[in-house]
Amino acid sequence: MQNPETTLPSILTYQGIPVWRHAQIIQWVAQIASAILVVALVMWFFGNMAFAIEDREIPFGFSFLGREYQTPIGEHVLPYKSSDSFLYALVVAATNTLVVAVIGVILATLLGIFIGVCRLSTNWIVSKLATVYIEFFRNVPLLIQLFFWFYIILALPRVREGYVILDGLYVNNAGISFPGPSASGTMPALVWLALVVAAVVVGVFLHHRLVRREEEIGRPSYPFVLGCVATVGIAAIAWLVLSGIFGDAPFSISMPAPEGRFGRIDGGVTVRAGMLVLLVGLVIYTSSFIAEIVRAGIQSVGRGQTEAARALGLSPMNTLRQGTFPQALRVIIPPWISQCLNLTKNSSLGGVVGYTDLTNVAITMTQTAPAINIFLMLMAAYLAMSLTWSLIGNLYNRRIGFTG
Amino acid sequence: MIDRYVKYFGCAAILLAVIALVGCGQEEPASPATSEPTAAVQPSPEAMEATAAPTTTEATAMDNQGVSRLQTVRDRGTLICSSNNSLAGFGFLDSGGNTVGFDIDLCRAVAAAVLGNPDAVEFRPTTAAERGPAIQSGEVDIMSRNTTWTSSRDAAWGNFAQTMFFDGQGFMIPKSLGVTSMMELRDAKICVQQGTTTELNIQDFDNQNAMNFDILTFPDNVSSNEAYISGQCDSLTTDRSGLVSTRAGFDNPDDHTILPGTISEEPLGPVVPHGDDQWYDVVKTVMAILIYAEAYGVTSDSVPAAATGNTKVDRLMGLEGSFGQEALGLSNTVAQDVIRGVGNYGEIYDRHLIPLGLERDGSRNALWANAPCADCPRGGQIYAAPLR
Repeated sequence: MQNPETTLPSILTYQGIPVWRHAQIIQWVAQIASAILVVALVMWFFGNMAFAIEDREIPFGFSFLGREYQTPIGEHVLPYKSSDSFLYALVVAATNTLVVAVIGVILATLLGIFIGVCRLSTNWIVSKLATVYIEFFRNVPLLIQLFFWFYIILALPRVREGYVILDGLYVNNAGISFPGPSASGTMPALVWLALVVAAVVVGVFLHHRLVRREEEIGRPSYPFVLGCVATVGIAAIAWLVLSGIFGDAPFSISMPAPEGRFGRIDGGVTVRAGMLVLLVGLVIYTSSFIAEIVRAGIQSVGRGQTEAARALGLSPMNTLRQGTFPQALRVIIPPWISQCLNLTKNSSLGGVVGYTDLTNVAITMTQTAPAINIFLMLMAAYLAMSLTWSLIGNLYNRRIGFTG
Repeated sequence: MIDRYVKYFGCAAILLAVIALVGCGQEEPASPATSEPTAAVQPSPEAMEATAAPTTTEATAMDNQGVSRLQTVRDRGTLICSSNNSLAGFGFLDSGGNTVGFDIDLCRAVAAAVLGNPDAVEFRPTTAAERGPAIQSGEVDIMSRNTTWTSSRDAAWGNFAQTMFFDGQGFMIPKSLGVTSMMELRDAKICVQQGTTTELNIQDFDNQNAMNFDILTFPDNVSSNEAYISGQCDSLTTDRSGLVSTRAGFDNPDDHTILPGTISEEPLGPVVPHGDDQWYDVVKTVMAILIYAEAYGVTSDSVPAAATGNTKVDRLMGLEGSFGQEALGLSNTVAQDVIRGVGNYGEIYDRHLIPLGLERDGSRNALWANAPCADCPRGGQIYAAPLR
């Protein structure tokens, strides 16, 4: 017999349960409703955009990519001249962003680990200084910090009156110049760099094999030393052979020196003020977050681990290096990845301090090319960079994570 | 069995929803939710009243469906003007926090013509690089921001109404460097503002003359001036008027010199969004009113209230005949509002640019009408389509 309360018309019941209380149906309705909402929103955005494009005769299309850009890009790591295309100019700008992102992440991580460990120091002064550093730089907006460093750098002496340290190191408000490699020609330089990459691969492979051999036969095989010898050896032989073939070494050392009536520093490597300010700002800001992540990671490792390591007679440094830190990494890596992403995305503020990063160049491009297309490409570029960081971080995370 | 029906039902529902939305999406532009499309065709006062619901303060892309920009501005009660706020003389904030300057008064003149009140303007400060998308999207009604008229900007951004200031790009350099001509700038580091025609011109100049410049770009004139003053670059380049204005703001203006000569043509003037011819014509006419009022000697203090007997003055002031005010959707006495509100071209120039040291007599920005003889080429280039 059916309970009189559940004798609903059959259309309102499903498997004997009223439809509005049936979990499966509720889920379906929710799915459909959210799908409609998402589709409607996306369509509304695109409809609005399409309408505006038509109504205001806003140019739309990607044909501009092949045109000559004709605008200066102040600082560029890749070679650039004004007759290059928009597409190549975007590549140059993206490389500028990548350079800052990669150098910035490395420096911010090193500095962050240092500050984070300092904060846990038993030395009262060191620990308090680290706390002040973290709290100060973490809580002041990055843009304001960038302006601060911008004015600090401007306060350095101008180029003609700049500091010359150790003959070849120039420091002035236009940047820092130091001796650097200079390619004698594109061909030998590229060939040699390719051979160096090959040498590194060989070295790593050798190291890997020797480690296994050491484990198998239980006798020392010196994997690190032999790996290094192989890499350096191959690179050196390649250098000599290429010098013989082309009659000139692939690279020579170029010294910076003042040029022309305005004393501009030419030659060597110059890290210009814009990049310097952006790097200093990003590294200091991000390192204060990484320091806190590192502290949290180390503190998450059980006290017993430290005590066990000390009981084995490890020094405090070795306790950290071999005991606590490797375990802390599992906690550190995921939030560290998001700091890498943040640093990369924050580099888009470079324009305000005169660094020609991707965003800066893209915004300038909107002067002579369709803004909507440029911003779509800009978003795609940052998305690609962020996803790459995530991928690298997640692969590393998987490697160091608990296995088995 | 019934599970399968549930799935079919779900899929069908999603499909239907998508189809319905596609249908709606296509209909949307044709029938805006806020106004009857017929209102534009037959602008009877009632219909205009009914549709003129000023629900938004933003001049969004939707405004143009059916309602003209002139009507939108009147309904809103303010004119949205994209402006500069850091270039002395042209557009900047004075010590009292008011937006003042030559370009600013051009916006005020349009507000006086359309709304009867030169202060009914909302100024939106934009950087050089932001200004293009802002006018392109129709977010603002007018842009008056020391903007050079070029063919590609005309095609992409909006319509340039009238050249109100003729300029050219020059170089400023500290006197201590002893440079006397532009060609001596070889190997110099040059500061330039990004997103400007000057950025493009300096590249052309560099390429043509193998100047081997090191070009540093900055997002606004505050930071490029700062970089120049601190010696990060040897020379600052922008429109000569901009250099004069910038130098006037330095602590020691006499330590800097503006090199003779220019490397480009920079006709500056206001821009309106594409897609509304009436609005474009209104702004052009207001600029012409400013110019002709000066040519006819009508100043803010001498706006006649009754016919003067001088046909040209009377027609301009709406006291006799017409110069097409009605067709443009403007009041008959629009010129009186404009000149009372901001003064004529000469008054605006004298108020903002003379104090900077931008001499007008004998320059390209003198009136053509002031030429010593009818056809001699000694007059300036300030000239507009006749108001008649």
